[in-house]
Amino acid sequence: MSNAHAASAPHASYATATGIPNGKLGMWLFLASEVMFFTGLIGAYIVLRLSHPQWPGPEGHLSVPLGTLNTFILIGSSMTIVMALAAAQAERPIDSVRRWLLVTVLLGGLFLGIKGFEYSTKLAHGIVPSSGVFWSCYYTLTGFHALHVLGGIVFNLVVLSWTREASLWRAQRHRLELAGLYWHFVDIVWIFLFPLLYLL
Amino acid sequence: MPVHMTDITSSSTRTYLAIWGWLAGLMLLGVVLAELPISKLWIVLMVLALSSVKALLVALYYMHLKMDRWVLWLVAVAPLALIALALGVVFSSFFIQL
Repeated sequence: MSNAHAASAPHASYATATGIPNGKLGMWLFLASEVMFFTGLIGAYIVLRLSHPQWPGPEGHLSVPLGTLNTFILIGSSMTIVMALAAAQAERPIDSVRRWLLVTVLLGGLFLGIKGFEYSTKLAHGIVPSSGVFWSCYYTLTGFHALHVLGGIVFNLVVLSWTREASLWRAQRHRLELAGLYWHFVDIVWIFLFPLLYLL
Repeated sequence: MPVHMTDITSSSTRTYLAIWGWLAGLMLLGVVLAELPISKLWIVLMVLALSSVKALLVALYYMHLKMDRWVLWLVAVAPLALIALALGVVFSSFFIQL
């Protein structure tokens, strides 16, 4: 591609052949594949759960208050990242976007901190993934979800780093919507994991 | 407004806060329902129905599916159809085994 052509071509991430920016369509397709990934895990959990009427038994106790708090935190972080997007859309001062994004990252970190506390408590009692089928499922489901939260935090931090310079932000701010889509997906997964693991 | 971002001007920050309130309220309702002395089957159905409503609220309002083009609806719904198919096969074999 010649330099002149490259200069006149639209940015790859918001070029479109469908009316939807390619980056956004790509993110939705990625999320669709992620839905299938988590469905496999959750489906296996449900089948195992149905095969064990006494599941998880007295040894499978999880802290509902901690799980509720974590759900509240993740739901809150979904709200804060959509507020960041709204601030960017309304072209409010960049500080406003930065503040909402920072709160989102902190809430994500808090979620992982509480999850880490739960893990450490269980491990201190000798409860490891091999302690039983329930614990294998618990560590697998929550572990993969936590990795996704960590990935979302990194994505949000990268977007946050683009707010340092106005010119950089103008070129990259459309990616905030992609980070938001990913973050909301992580929230939706937890919306199902919380009742399945903690309440039912 | 940049042309490459979803137009969310029609959704005010007040709507986002209201959705957050609904999400938090439905979550607490699920926690309370799980403690009720009623049939386990009813609890499972109600709590999972609440989760589905919460997921729908997030997808429609926070992910802006409500305002997006039909292609994205297709992308979002396609895995759900596959999930229904997969779960249908899994559960039918499970109940046949019983």
